[in-house]
Amino acid sequence: MVIDFNTLYNFPSRLDRVFEEFLRSPMGDDRRLAYPPLNLSSDDEHIYVRAEIPGMSIDDVELTLTDKTLVLKGERGAPQGKYYRQERPSGVFHRVVNIGVPVDRDKVSASMKDGVLTVTLPKSEEIKPRTISIDVG
Amino acid sequence: MSEIAKTNEKSLPKYRPATDILEREDGFYIYIDMPGVRKEDMVIDLQEDELTVSGKTTLAPAEGEKFLEMQFGDCEYVRSISISDIVDRERIKASLEGGVLQLHLPKVEKVQPKRISIAQG
Repeated sequence: MVIDFNTLYNFPSRLDRVFEEFLRSPMGDDRRLAYPPLNLSSDDEHIYVRAEIPGMSIDDVELTLTDKTLVLKGERGAPQGKYYRQERPSGVFHRVVNIGVPVDRDKVSASMKDGVLTVTLPKSEEIKPRTISIDVG
Repeated sequence: MSEIAKTNEKSLPKYRPATDILEREDGFYIYIDMPGVRKEDMVIDLQEDELTVSGKTTLAPAEGEKFLEMQFGDCEYVRSISISDIVDRERIKASLEGGVLQLHLPKVEKVQPKRISIAQG
């Protein structure tokens, strides 16, 4: 946790290490599985795909929708300089999301806010539950 | 009601956000990934040699949303960085854009060593 620019001078390290353990993420290993982390959710009308891609604009992300999948592609660059510490992932990322439900392709929208990408896929009309009224004769 | 809200707030998981620290000619740059954190929910504190950055995410799912897969959620990002004396504390700049906090820590202007010429006796 302590990053001192002067490496010869970091004596409060032991206490910090204890604190660091405490702050370590319980699902840290999950996060390392794939980049970017995704949330997949749905409500009655839509399917939502959310991804944490901080520092990228929507134009840098390539979204491709095929019959059954949504593909997220992009490249995250790293700032230039002399590094003391580099933890932020950089490079090409590629994630494929299986969408098991037919979607209305023309109405798919995507937005980016505070580094979180949201892709909204409206469910196709044909699979929405419909009420059929039965006339009792 | 407020009691409940308070306990909810406390149970937010804490994470150390991924951080890059680098040096350029005009000083040190720190980049911290904090996706989902709004400017208002971010606190940057400088106490003596310790710079602490924290922020809470507000992902706010839509009503009636059911999750099939969840790899990230609401959390609190906390990170402290100790800074050395060569940083000019008065001129530290911070900006938050697209979920990345950028800090610029300029170096203290160096005191030029003075050469004293010795007059020949």
